[in-house]
Amino acid sequence: MEERNNTTTPAAAKKCCCCSWGPFVAGLAAALALGWWVLPNLMKVEKQQPIAFSHVEHVKKQGMYCEQCHFVRADGTYSGAPSTAECATCHFTVIGHNPEESRFVNEYVRAGREIKDEWLIYQKQPDNVFFSHAIHLSAAKDVKGPEETAKYCSICHIDVASTDVPPVYRENRLSGYSENTMLMWGCERCHAKHMAAGDTAASNACFTCHK
Amino acid sequence: MSAETKEFKIKWGMVIDIDKCTGCGACMVACQAENNVAPAAVGGNKLRSLNWLTVFRLSNRKPFPDHEVAYLPRPCMQCGKPSCVAVCPVIATDKREEGGIVSQIPPRCIGCRYCMASCPYHARYFNWYDPKWPGDLSQALTPDVSTRMRGVVEKCSFCHHRFMKAQELAVSQGRDPYDLPDGAYITACTEACPNGAITFGDVNNPKHKVHELIKSPYAFRLLERLGTDPQVYYMSKREWVRREGDNYLENEKTGEPLKKLG
Amino acid sequence: MDRRGFLKFAAGGTAGLVASPIIWNTLYDAVYWTQNWGWIPRLKKGAGEYLPAVSKICPSGTGFLVRTVAGTPVRTIGDRNNPVTHGSITSLAASEAELRVSPSRIKKPLLRSADGAYNAIAWAEAEKLLKAKAAAAGKSVAAISGDPTSCTNEVLSAILRAKGSKDFYFMPDEEQPALAAWTSMGGRGRLGYDIENSDCILAAAPVLESWGVVAGNRAAFNRHHPVGAPSTQKLIYAGPVQNNTAAGADLWLPIKPGTETILMLGIAHLLIKAGRNAADFEHGYTPANFKEFADLAAEYTPEKVCAATGVPAQRLEAAAAMLLDAKAPLAIAGSELGSGGGAAPVMAALSINMLLGRIGSKGGVVCLPDHANVVKGAMKYSEIMARPLVSYTQDVASGKKPAPAFLFIHAANPVYALPSDSGMKQTMQKAGFTVAVASFFSETCAEADLVLPATLGMEAFDDVQTPYGSGRITYAFARPVVKPFGEARPAGELYIALAQELDVQLGVKDMPDLLYQHAFALGTPFRQMMEKGTVFTADSAAPLPKMKFNVRSLKAALSAALPGDAPVLAPVVVLGLGTAATSVPPFAAKTVTDYQICGKYSVAQMNGATAASLGVRDGDGLRLTAENGATAEVIVSIFEGVMPSSISLVAGLGHTAFDEFSRGKGTSVVSLTGITREPGTNLPVWGTAGLKAARA
Repeated sequence: MEERNNTTTPAAAKKCCCCSWGPFVAGLAAALALGWWVLPNLMKVEKQQPIAFSHVEHVKKQGMYCEQCHFVRADGTYSGAPSTAECATCHFTVIGHNPEESRFVNEYVRAGREIKDEWLIYQKQPDNVFFSHAIHLSAAKDVKGPEETAKYCSICHIDVASTDVPPVYRENRLSGYSENTMLMWGCERCHAKHMAAGDTAASNACFTCHK
Repeated sequence: MSAETKEFKIKWGMVIDIDKCTGCGACMVACQAENNVAPAAVGGNKLRSLNWLTVFRLSNRKPFPDHEVAYLPRPCMQCGKPSCVAVCPVIATDKREEGGIVSQIPPRCIGCRYCMASCPYHARYFNWYDPKWPGDLSQALTPDVSTRMRGVVEKCSFCHHRFMKAQELAVSQGRDPYDLPDGAYITACTEACPNGAITFGDVNNPKHKVHELIKSPYAFRLLERLGTDPQVYYMSKREWVRREGDNYLENEKTGEPLKKLG
Repeated sequence: MDRRGFLKFAAGGTAGLVASPIIWNTLYDAVYWTQNWGWIPRLKKGAGEYLPAVSKICPSGTGFLVRTVAGTPVRTIGDRNNPVTHGSITSLAASEAELRVSPSRIKKPLLRSADGAYNAIAWAEAEKLLKAKAAAAGKSVAAISGDPTSCTNEVLSAILRAKGSKDFYFMPDEEQPALAAWTSMGGRGRLGYDIENSDCILAAAPVLESWGVVAGNRAAFNRHHPVGAPSTQKLIYAGPVQNNTAAGADLWLPIKPGTETILMLGIAHLLIKAGRNAADFEHGYTPANFKEFADLAAEYTPEKVCAATGVPAQRLEAAAAMLLDAKAPLAIAGSELGSGGGAAPVMAALSINMLLGRIGSKGGVVCLPDHANVVKGAMKYSEIMARPLVSYTQDVASGKKPAPAFLFIHAANPVYALPSDSGMKQTMQKAGFTVAVASFFSETCAEADLVLPATLGMEAFDDVQTPYGSGRITYAFARPVVKPFGEARPAGELYIALAQELDVQLGVKDMPDLLYQHAFALGTPFRQMMEKGTVFTADSAAPLPKMKFNVRSLKAALSAALPGDAPVLAPVVVLGLGTAATSVPPFAAKTVTDYQICGKYSVAQMNGATAASLGVRDGDGLRLTAENGATAEVIVSIFEGVMPSSISLVAGLGHTAFDEFSRGKGTSVVSLTGITREPGTNLPVWGTAGLKAARA
């Protein structure tokens, strides 16, 4: 320090010390804010589900099971979100006091509009992905009840079972996919883990998941 | 990558009895419909049209009236030592999965067409143009196979999605998905052939019919002596048909060089 | 801030960006974006089903399973539970899910305006027009049906009868000449063939491709030829071209086009020489005129037959030996084109069956009952069959008969399917008002005043009554397993509604009622057929007729001039290329080979000797001039599987209507042929023609 003081004035040294880290920190902070928060949000467009569906109401209050609406069909395909007709098995007429429900009954059930065509899928995969819910659910034979099911399903899906309004759907402006879409490495990591553990034969070969 | 070959417990194989094939084309129609191969208005142009399965007409090359005719349906041979996999720079095609089907992932393909050049069977096709389903034809697309785009190579996959479906069904019924019963998984062409000329199954599984059929003295494979080890077998009781399967010298007989190679 | 400070700020910013995920995420997103090919159709997901249904466009009504995804049909596949097809499917039926949405499918009723353009109109308007025109026509009405297996014919013919007309015709097919032959030889009811149980078939017809119940024939072929085991049925195919049937045959008898009768008599000669004398011990009778027939057959020595037909003598003898060795041999004759054949070849084939004692035996010729009629006033099936359409249209064209004021054309494309001298086009032009009820916009639709979109077999109630070629009584319902495409409507319902409008009492109220009455008449459970799509089959219990040889007609037919050494047309039918009413299905366009089409030209296959005599080589252009003056430019392809001096062209090309998959490609084979009358029976025949060929 003393040696340095010999070559520069104390004021200059102080200024230099400040200017040596200040702009860097400021730039770092700005970029971090930009990169972690501002730009990611600018990249995404928020979309609303057509109906503010409440899982809490259906599961917790009415005591429904997940499989009543989301089930594996007889042909092995997965039903996904229920259709207007499936909803209408209960909601053929307004049965509660929620304004969203009466809107659903009036605008979808009575108008014959298909809710499934408008419902936003948080984890929609492209056409060239083959994913079998039936196979992945075969490992969940011991899973019983909505809570355990929600826990099991949320290994991959966002946990909606305890939501009163649907989570916000954020779509990437560039790719068109939801921010919740599972990416290939997500599938591969789990497959690799189970291959290593020896409890599956579904390797990470391309054709295991692609069609 | 190229030299090493993976051995599989399951080896899906096809046995095509040429003596039963009469060239009606039902297999080709079924293949296109099942695998969402777009139709072509100028289907006669074989340079530009795309077929995962093509039926060729064979001739014994004798003049009338001793001429004989036979038909040879040609899917992808799903070679044990696939030359296409060795040359693919981006691993868009691979042979890694149990069953031994050579995979092809069109979105991964960069369209260099090395694989097409290396395939001795001309089983690979290039999308020179975007596929088109004029009018309402796209309504009839199956949900099984993704549509492709221009600039990528595609080929027969032994209707791999049916293998997935069969596994799915086995798992949901609590059966072993790697020990499917004979007939639980067959390709669309096998199913469509009205003459029953195509038999499909696991050649490694003694419970499957193909396991015995490939041992027939009449069984042969195409260009067998190239060493590609195809999983598609053909059968014919006619010597001249078997000769068409490879480039034999005048004095050579079919079957013999195969034994030498072991 | 000084320069140094700015650089530090920039360094901090860079470090911050690198430490944040935005760059990598944007790169990822960019990669995903490159895989969004928005203009390429996406796949639909949904619940899948496999529903039994039947094809009404495949000539023999092939049964299949319709695979639907979320209610939309995506595939048609063979139905293993079907007692007729046993899982077999024809290449035409295999493309029906795609044909359903093909560009040539008619979506709306179309009315022709004064300038010839077609304008879409509402169904209500179309129905009003239909009723007004039908009512105004009085008894001057006529109808043509291209679907002989359907009960809608009863409704249409009942309307005609109620109005006082008997001008109801079927499109020419294989059964018309066969029935003429069968009846003239003492047969009653309908002629059937028990192909399934025969162990040796002599076929002068493409039994594995287009003749008879193709899917059933192929299923029988499949079961008799197990993979990797000896076959249990022999097939001898006689025809000018080594076609698909020849590819499956054990023996090919190459014969000149139009010499089937001579070939059959040559074989009969050899059979009689081997001691077969038509004494049917099983049924205990010998035809009274065996001697007369034997005398005729005696003239057809192998030398004479070989000279006339071109068949190698060895093969003729081999064929006779195979028939003699067989336990249940069967002889079949038909036409290569599927229509326009004569009765004489069938008579000759039936004579062989009689010599071998195969009438009414297992694996032989079967006597089937006539179709039952349940609609009041409907015309009898055999009665309609006995009157050729071409005789009517030729009479109308020449003015011998008055043109109909109202002409109905149901599920047929006669403008394309009939030769130009059939008078079909003139009949349509002379007719007051023509209505085409069709699924696809054909050449006939392009000549009609009103075009009505009809449903397919998987979209509406209809039925398939025992098709020609079957050895058993079969009955299947067409059921609506999917929604009609566009505004297509069931033809049957349309006719029933029209009958009600015109106050015609049918005795049926709708199509399900009509089907119920048919099922009841056959004694089969209606509900099961309706709900599960099961198919009824039964062995015929019709009494065996006492057959006799029709020597007079055979002699007359044999008096016709034989084809000489000049080039002659040899058509080949490939069912995958569709029928006249469907044209080439979109997914069949790629099954077309380079020996069928080259560019926009048809390919003419001929053997090397023929090509040499014409002075052409493989790939050369050739101009063909037919006897009727029609010309065609074709490309030569050398194929040694063709008779010398025969020129083979594939049928089903040369369409001028339909869509890009069939329009403007190649030559229509039928357009090169002209109609002649078969001596003896006076039936109109066509399908082959002498050609003049010159290099082009």
